Amino acid sequence: MSASNLQEQTQFLKYSRTVGMTTMRGRGFYYPVDSAMARDGRIYVVNRSSERAPADTVRVTMLNMDGEYFGVFGAGGDGDGEFLWPSGIALDGDGRVYVSDEHLHRITVFTASGDFVFSWGAHGSGEGELDSPSGLAFDLDDNILVSDARNHRVQRFTKNGVFLSAFGGAGSGEGELDMPWGLTTNADGDVFVADWGNDRVQRFSSKGRFISQYGGSGRGDGQFLKPASVAVDTKGYVYVADWGNERVQVLDADGRFMQQLRGEATHSKWAEDFLGINVEEADARARANLEPDIEFFNDDPHEQSSHIEKLFWGPSSVILDPQGRLYVTETHRHRLQVYQRVD
Amino acid sequence: MSNQDIQLLAHLMRRAGFGATREELAERSRDGYEATVSRLLDTSNPVSMSEHLIRRFHPDESSMLLGSSGIDAWLYRMTTTNAPLLEKMGLFWHGIFATGYAKVINAKPLSDQIRMFKRYAMGSFRTLLLELSKDPAMIIWLDNQQNHKGAINENFGRELLELFSMGVGNFTENDVKECARAFTGWTIGNREYMELRSSRDSDWPYGRISWHFEYRPEDHDDGEKEFLGQTGNFNGEDIVDIICRQPATARFISRHLYHFFVADEPPVPQWPYQPPRDPEAIETLSQSYFDSNYDIRSMLRTLFNSDFFKSQSCWHEKVKSPAELVTGVLRLTEDFERPRYETVAKRLRMEFMGQRLSNPPSVEGYDGGLTWIDTGALVERMNFASEELGNTMTPGSQALIRRLAADNGGTVTPERLVDVCLDHLGALSVQEETRSRLVEYAAEGGDIQMDGHTLGEKARQSVAGVVQLIAATPEFQRA
Repeated sequence: MSASNLQEQTQFLKYSRTVGMTTMRGRGFYYPVDSAMARDGRIYVVNRSSERAPADTVRVTMLNMDGEYFGVFGAGGDGDGEFLWPSGIALDGDGRVYVSDEHLHRITVFTASGDFVFSWGAHGSGEGELDSPSGLAFDLDDNILVSDARNHRVQRFTKNGVFLSAFGGAGSGEGELDMPWGLTTNADGDVFVADWGNDRVQRFSSKGRFISQYGGSGRGDGQFLKPASVAVDTKGYVYVADWGNERVQVLDADGRFMQQLRGEATHSKWAEDFLGINVEEADARARANLEPDIEFFNDDPHEQSSHIEKLFWGPSSVILDPQGRLYVTETHRHRLQVYQRVD
Repeated sequence: MSNQDIQLLAHLMRRAGFGATREELAERSRDGYEATVSRLLDTSNPVSMSEHLIRRFHPDESSMLLGSSGIDAWLYRMTTTNAPLLEKMGLFWHGIFATGYAKVINAKPLSDQIRMFKRYAMGSFRTLLLELSKDPAMIIWLDNQQNHKGAINENFGRELLELFSMGVGNFTENDVKECARAFTGWTIGNREYMELRSSRDSDWPYGRISWHFEYRPEDHDDGEKEFLGQTGNFNGEDIVDIICRQPATARFISRHLYHFFVADEPPVPQWPYQPPRDPEAIETLSQSYFDSNYDIRSMLRTLFNSDFFKSQSCWHEKVKSPAELVTGVLRLTEDFERPRYETVAKRLRMEFMGQRLSNPPSVEGYDGGLTWIDTGALVERMNFASEELGNTMTPGSQALIRRLAADNGGTVTPERLVDVCLDHLGALSVQEETRSRLVEYAAEGGDIQMDGHTLGEKARQSVAGVVQLIAATPEFQRA
């Protein structure tokens, strides 16, 4: 499939805008891997950066969907309020910010404005111990669910890190997990887990009992390749960051395929600011064909996305706002693409 | 299989791979030497740490904003692959078709180039040369985007003949010009924008954009050309065809293969003036080149099964490149099953030893051979190997400890300690004097007692010390 015939869609969501751009520091993103939104619309984007980059490139960027910038907090390191491999981010009912760290195997807590509060977590495979914690979500009781990736399970803790329960376990059977990544809860408290290594999304009850599963390996409609994140809206529609296929898929409440999104980014406000100042680059960009028709080896979507800038590249997180808008965090394009409901 | 046969197999694995553990040698020895060569040449199903796993934990190794990002991913693949010869061939072609970040300033096309090398590494040389001519990183590296109809840039045309296929003395200056004319219009898409971004090291606004080849017929000189005695309206494909038919090309590639896999040849600029150290070997390989219609895999089969390759006179004669040394050591630790934050630090050690992959010192690649060894680099090489292999907690070390504890009631004499360690590190054969020194060192700790599979501190020090000393021997530092 060439890049030019990727977009034959049922209209359920439509593209709205792009937010953010690449910067190593300050206003912008550098390998963003997850986002969370506060009730006031403030978006927290956690930037993983790279082991090769300076410590201050690892950070959480605060902004809103209009591109208003509220600053950054956090830094690379293993001290208080620092991260080495930040992965997931979530907000509790009080608006505090929780960030997981896959290398330090801990959860760090900040105030809504980014002041360090405390951190917890111990490396291991025992009850309450963590091995590469990634996705985070809060349940209806404001306890935190942690995708304990290398232990192939989900663990539930109090906000202070006291272990409550766990479910999952290594495997590919019903209720088993293989390096789970993102997770979320619905209005009933059911837990949806991006079962990354098994190419599926699994739904569990609030107690951790297996309910159902969606997907299966592949590139077809309703199939997944290493899904990274899942969101569920109030009507039960399921949104999946189909990371390995470089797309987002929408399923209905029964798991039936609705729509796939491949990405259609435009210039964000911050990108416009950059190009407005760097006129020579903007002019050359305007003359370039950024949607070239290229044949790709094995139709690899990763390669397509590396060449065609508007497409999703590394869609690692999907979140919804109260209006039902979908925010897709793209690790490799360092931006968010926002979609809204057609109806 | 005799000990001599095992040692020959170890030689093969050091050259066609990155060495082998004793267990791997034992497993391969069941097939025999020629079957092992065939297995090494079969790269139809290479398996290494999955791309997805690397990308999940190291996103920068996927989209590569930074110069070295692709190298760490390559190190993962070299260290975990079940097709080590394919990775060696990636290094081989990278050394000849050397392309560097210093000028390209976009790591993704460089990484794409290495993937291309591996995809075509062991097939037809014609295909590889054609893909090389279309490779975006190579086009920028040798300025072919500035090679226009009516205003040629000879850089790519010259190196195609001089460094990539035939060597100095086998073509004229007019051939260079005509070759350049044939490659006019071979450029990259969005040339102006991509060049500008590279010149500014710009990853704004949305990260790097991969490059793609573009042929612009309006910029191609389709006039008549005279090249290597032939006349026609040649395009790049025709030039590659003519190059591949030349005996000089066969000799040039054969000499490179000999240099990389068998024994050091002088630096390439001396080749026109200094004959090969084994002209018969070059002739044999050249014949294989033509007999197989330029098939590199066939040439490799000929090489690995030849007497000149098997000869003990060339064992341990080649100094491992930093990439080979680091990869070989990490494979021996068997401690690379998951992406790790610390991988970057290990790759950096390779650079401290003097080799920065995808950033060679010049278009002629890495000098190699004894130039890898200067005082600083040697210390770094010894330290790295000793630190990694002296860690008794790695799976590789644990396997060694299980072997040591396996017989004689767990009592290990200094002689047995040295011999088992040498064997464990890839059936390493060292000079008798070296072995004696190692035994002397081990004897300072006396017999060690293994309690099951656990080590007391004294035993741990003895095992680690002997392994660390072996890692510093000339035999270990060479292939």
